[in-house]
Amino acid sequence: MKAVKVNFRINDEPVALEVKPYETLLETLRERLDLIGGKEACGLGSCGACTVIVDGIPLRSCLVLTPEVDGASITTIEGLARNGRLHPLQESFMEKGAVQCGFCTSGMILTAKALLDRNPRPARKEVVKTISSNICRCTGYKKIVDAVLDASLKNKAYHINN
Amino acid sequence: MSDDLNIVGKRVVRSDTLAKVTGQARYTADLKFPNMLTAKVLRSPFPHARILGIDLSRALKVPGVKAAISGFDAYGVKWGVFRYTQDHAMLPTDKVRYVGEDVAAVAAVDEETALEALSLIKVDYEPLPAVFDPEEAMQEGAPQIHEAYQNNINIHVHIDVGDVDRAMAEAFLVREDTFKAAGEAYAMMEPYAVVASYANGFLELWMPNAGPHVRAKALSNLLKMPLNRVRVRHIYSGGAFGGRSEVSPGDLVASLLSIKAGRPVKLVLSREENATSTRQIHDMIATVKTGMSRDGTIVAKDYRVIYDGGAYSSTGPIATSIPFYVYEECYRFPNVRYNGYRVLTNKGIRGMYGCHGRAFLAGNESQMDLMAKELGLDPVDVRLKNGLSSGEMTATKSLITSCGLAQTIARASESTHFKEKWPKAKRGKGIGMGCIAIMCGFPMGFRSGSACYVKMNDDGQATIVTGVVDNGQGNESVVIQVASEVLGIPMEDINLINADTEATNLDPGAYSQAATFVGANAVRVACENARRKITAIAAEKLGVPAEDLDLKDRMVFSMTTPDKKMPVRWIVREAFFRGDPIAATGSYFPKIDIEREWVSRPWGQMAGTFSFGTSVAEVRIDSHTGRITVPRFTAAHDCGRPINPMAVEGQMEGSIQQAGIAAIMEGNLWDHGFLLNPDLLEYKVPLACDMPEIDTIIISSMDPEGPFGAKEGGLTIRMNAYSAIACAVTNATDALFTELPLTPDRVLTILERKKGVKK
Repeated sequence: MKAVKVNFRINDEPVALEVKPYETLLETLRERLDLIGGKEACGLGSCGACTVIVDGIPLRSCLVLTPEVDGASITTIEGLARNGRLHPLQESFMEKGAVQCGFCTSGMILTAKALLDRNPRPARKEVVKTISSNICRCTGYKKIVDAVLDASLKNKAYHINN
Repeated sequence: MSDDLNIVGKRVVRSDTLAKVTGQARYTADLKFPNMLTAKVLRSPFPHARILGIDLSRALKVPGVKAAISGFDAYGVKWGVFRYTQDHAMLPTDKVRYVGEDVAAVAAVDEETALEALSLIKVDYEPLPAVFDPEEAMQEGAPQIHEAYQNNINIHVHIDVGDVDRAMAEAFLVREDTFKAAGEAYAMMEPYAVVASYANGFLELWMPNAGPHVRAKALSNLLKMPLNRVRVRHIYSGGAFGGRSEVSPGDLVASLLSIKAGRPVKLVLSREENATSTRQIHDMIATVKTGMSRDGTIVAKDYRVIYDGGAYSSTGPIATSIPFYVYEECYRFPNVRYNGYRVLTNKGIRGMYGCHGRAFLAGNESQMDLMAKELGLDPVDVRLKNGLSSGEMTATKSLITSCGLAQTIARASESTHFKEKWPKAKRGKGIGMGCIAIMCGFPMGFRSGSACYVKMNDDGQATIVTGVVDNGQGNESVVIQVASEVLGIPMEDINLINADTEATNLDPGAYSQAATFVGANAVRVACENARRKITAIAAEKLGVPAEDLDLKDRMVFSMTTPDKKMPVRWIVREAFFRGDPIAATGSYFPKIDIEREWVSRPWGQMAGTFSFGTSVAEVRIDSHTGRITVPRFTAAHDCGRPINPMAVEGQMEGSIQQAGIAAIMEGNLWDHGFLLNPDLLEYKVPLACDMPEIDTIIISSMDPEGPFGAKEGGLTIRMNAYSAIACAVTNATDALFTELPLTPDRVLTILERKKGVKK
């Protein structure tokens, strides 16, 4: 099958690639670009472990074909820390004990980031509703919700980082 | 709790989390090596069939295919945890015994090539009659799955203490009920994956595992390779929950392919394969007969429990026993009989689970509540009356050395106003309590203990080497915290080399709740030995007795004259000058009865200590739909001293999700030998929106043996949260459940049956 040319920005870097027409964004990120922070846990879009942010929207990269995101701007977990400083969500996930096995963590953080980017001070209920798109098998979610709210309170730091 | 500690007992950031929040943590599927091949496995489409022949020749001709194997390329060895359970070839040559069983595999330059080759493998099968229900499998004339197990009874555990029949006859109140539960899916987020790399006569392996040393030993047997040539390496693990304790068929597959191809091979299972072809959890049928005296004292228990064991033994004797033991470690049973049968069926392989035994445990606890009600007693009082305390022996002769059971019951019931709410339950609203004890480590032969090596480096930092493995629960951080406390240096000064069989010493693994109580204890002893060497030199240099010296903030100082002090690194350097660098080993072997055996000698000291816990669930039931919601869940856990309270809470909260909320929604569904819900769309796990408001209470009983008084961090909740849910439903409906999970249809059946009685 003929390769497809795609151009997009990943973590603020321009990328030009030739990919298989049926290649998922998750495969492109992991296999071609060595961005392994997003995980394949279900391959069906049911768990959210492969979530990345595409033009401000959290998408399950296992359900997106790479040619579909031609021209888009993509953020992966590897793009969150800036100049050696962690993103407030990354700090809060560490400080609040929101990480156990870590397999869902990058998807959770990116899902939460997309929420905080559009609503910097969400209510607890809204955080619960938003992260209900993602499965975590270890934590019971309580400390993840706490961490997202904690990050939202680091308002100033949050806005500097963005 | 004494507050003289600097690191232990503090809510510290876990050492492994920076790698995980930045996406840098490498899991098995993330590994890439030069020349690495992709593996794919051909699986059995039949639940039971004779293998007449396997032809790999066409697959091998596909360009890009570098190896193809079947069981005929293996060494004819069968795996079993015990000598009497060696029945699992991992790649069968005689017959397949479940749908999804590994039959053949290929390694190729890419996935497409591997899949094409797989489609060209020809397997001739002769389908055989199959059996899927354990009670049918026990009948005469049922299809025999293994020659060695008559009537498909894989394991029979028989325990008989006291005089059950007499006590039952004399009891004031007797009740017998049968409870069923579907097995759950571990549904760890990381699907199983193995990377095997064979070069220069050595086999290196990476896979999510809960015990690298145990895994390497199993593979050395299966591959007939000397143990030192099988090196299981450290890798991050995306959850285990008991499901990564044993060697897995994929380990053998990837190893054989790499040996054949002479190249690294990566095998990554899909979510569906992870469900059908790695271990699952036992379905259960538990018949519970209880005799009580008029004051609520349990005078006799008589149990018959059937475990659906799937196609092979796995950890059979352990799985057949654990639900009983965690219960007898909690309550006083003067007369008790237990008949546990693990029965083989033509379904997927089954293993131990952190929440193993829910039909039995939730059944016991809900039945106890109905009996208490009949006697006009309160469930809290009945639990306190029958609960064990420090200094008592369990029915099978394990001494309880530290016990916070009564405090967990008291604190959980006070914080929920249990005693006021329970009698006032209405249709649609209920509260329930579940209690349990857990052994921290159990007899695993010479693997019951752990050993650690520590060396001080030239800048005053330390490297600790331990077999302790982390599956996400935070064990690595625990051992670093313990080392940091003993050596008086911050956590970031400690380098950890762990879970790598080439470098690390023997350790039981993250199995049987041994990581903190056994593994971290060995780290403590090794660091104390190193600390003694530090204080001996410091005493000489500072002119004070060694007993007067303490270590803190990278300094050694006199406790009586604190200005007499010097940096740890000076002492480390002095030791190098003396040609006797500061290094030490240490080990810990729990005080257990090593003669104890699961089937042949089921008595004696089971574990070095036991943890205790109480869960309280509050439920609402929609009488129209049968849907249960859980507005509030309270859990109290006696973990000894918590090494990191934040991590202990995390374990408790996860347990409420994986055992508690699971009791209303999780269960595998089978159609004969076919698993109907192998993926995460069909198998619903609790989401954030399904979770109750959670209150966690840590009770510290300061265990005399545990490192800094610690036991284990949260497993009791994993084994009583479903009991709390079931008891709350009993409280709301005045009836017992018959089957878990308590899905809306089953709840409606309970409600309708109850209505019928009232008419």
